[in-house]
Amino acid sequence: MTAEDSLREMLAMIELELRRLRHDRTEIYTRAIQPILWLAVFGTVMSEVRGIPTGGLPYIDYITPGVLIQSTIFVSVFYGLTIVWERETGILKRLLVAPASRSATVVGRSIASGVRAVVQALIIFPVAILLGVKFIPNPIYITAAFLVLFLISGGFAAVSIFVASLMKTRERFMGLGQALIMPLFFASNALYPIEMMPPALQYVALVNPLTYAVDAVRGLLISGDLSGLAVDVAAILVFDVVIFAVASVSFRKIIE
Amino acid sequence: MLSPAGVPGMTLAIETSGLTKTYNRRTRALDGVDLQVWPGEVFAFLGPNGSGKTTLMRILTTQFRPTSGEARAFGTDVVRRGSEVRRMIGYVPQETSVWLDITGRENLLIYSKVYAVPKDRRKGSIEDAIQAMGLEEVADRMVNTYSGGTIRRLEIAAALLVKPKILFLDEPTIGLDPSARKAVWESLTAFKGECGTTVFFNTHYMDEADHYSDEIAIINRGRIVKSGTARELKRSLNGEILRFSRNHKQEHYQTHGQNGFDEYAVKKVRELDLVRDAAVSGSLLEVYVDDGERALPLVVEALWSEGVTFDRISTARPTLDDVFLRYAGSCRSGRGGDGG
Repeated sequence: MTAEDSLREMLAMIELELRRLRHDRTEIYTRAIQPILWLAVFGTVMSEVRGIPTGGLPYIDYITPGVLIQSTIFVSVFYGLTIVWERETGILKRLLVAPASRSATVVGRSIASGVRAVVQALIIFPVAILLGVKFIPNPIYITAAFLVLFLISGGFAAVSIFVASLMKTRERFMGLGQALIMPLFFASNALYPIEMMPPALQYVALVNPLTYAVDAVRGLLISGDLSGLAVDVAAILVFDVVIFAVASVSFRKIIE
Repeated sequence: MLSPAGVPGMTLAIETSGLTKTYNRRTRALDGVDLQVWPGEVFAFLGPNGSGKTTLMRILTTQFRPTSGEARAFGTDVVRRGSEVRRMIGYVPQETSVWLDITGRENLLIYSKVYAVPKDRRKGSIEDAIQAMGLEEVADRMVNTYSGGTIRRLEIAAALLVKPKILFLDEPTIGLDPSARKAVWESLTAFKGECGTTVFFNTHYMDEADHYSDEIAIINRGRIVKSGTARELKRSLNGEILRFSRNHKQEHYQTHGQNGFDEYAVKKVRELDLVRDAAVSGSLLEVYVDDGERALPLVVEALWSEGVTFDRISTARPTLDDVFLRYAGSCRSGRGGDGG
């Protein structure tokens, strides 16, 4: 096994995801409904309340980064379902018999899921503009924001592969997947500033990778405040490296 | 079909010695498997459910490590040099192993990249594999429109992309109707004839092992209980049975003992060199022989010389089903029928 084999497998996994998307985009559209409702209904209504200190931003603008990230995380976390399905079929066995390393399979699948998640975000992006969200019109910032989305989704796809290796059936996986996403979303700065939370929850928010991703994307797309960007990106990278390693180790178990 | 003779110095395609695999420190899936498969052979591995067939295949394809023992593919250790082994084998698991939501050709393209087929040979390999498995007409359709047999041929095609030296097939035709099974085997046989690949397959279908394999091993409870060619295995069950029956209306039936077969004549038949045993049941004389073609004239002559007449001779050969039941039939009630 060489680095070249591993890289080739990763690229092949990304290509696979893009080809699947080309044939069937239904999932991407149906998954866009929920985040659009968050923006169109929740965002619009809560804008009228004006009870949340958003630093002068309209509330719908304030929550757009969080909603974008939540929608991509949904894609990643349920990516584990694909892995559970592939475990039930023979695909994983077959990938294990390929020359690339097992970690290349895990990282490759995670990155592929990240790509799928970014496509998901691309659908919501124009809808947000139609709803009146004002993005900073800087192509470099926007590209950087999508890179952050990609990194955080890849990490959560690895979380999902890790969960899939523990919960080997679809039903168990569904249960845990559902139980994971909303608490993460609520225990982050996606909908309100951390300072508003009870102290205990603030600690949770500080170790929640979503908080850093939301902060980075909000800075890049909406507020233009990039003072925390370096810390945010560093936190996301640490999360990715750790979870890729954990998922690669646990992946062995998935096939036995 | 002949099995290639063991040429001294020739590297075995697959060789295992004392292979064991224990799950969770308790369940012993393999219990000392010694196996030899010669290059170019089609090797059928038979066994009841849970006998260790799939475990052995997953060790040979480097997915698992054995608990103890050794296994080599063309001289390369499957544990220590797994990545080298992975480059020379093709593997088709029992379950569906292609993506259903892309086309057949796209599946082959993805697998050719995953399996590190060099870029300049990729297109050619994909075309060859499509042709070898007769998928020309369906290659550009979505796989979820394929029939079970076509999916199986696509899966095998994906394993052929690397032009493997050994092709591992785990229950290759399970769940397929007879015509789909035939189509799979015809494609495989043609491919094998062209490329000389060693084929190692697990199966439940005795007729497949009988028709398509050069060599067979039967595994039961993690041990190989019998191996040999289909012919040898069948012969190991008392060879053949020659059945002589006579017409009830004939006079002899009234005048001779043993329902018409003279006891002395039966004894004489029993004493013949090529005869293992003989038994009378009703108006039927059953003679157990190793080689029916050679024994028949001698038995007929012995009966005639004693003045015994008969009006019908039939021969029955044990089928591979009989062999399987004899050596592996009593999976749950102990290691019964252990003949090897």
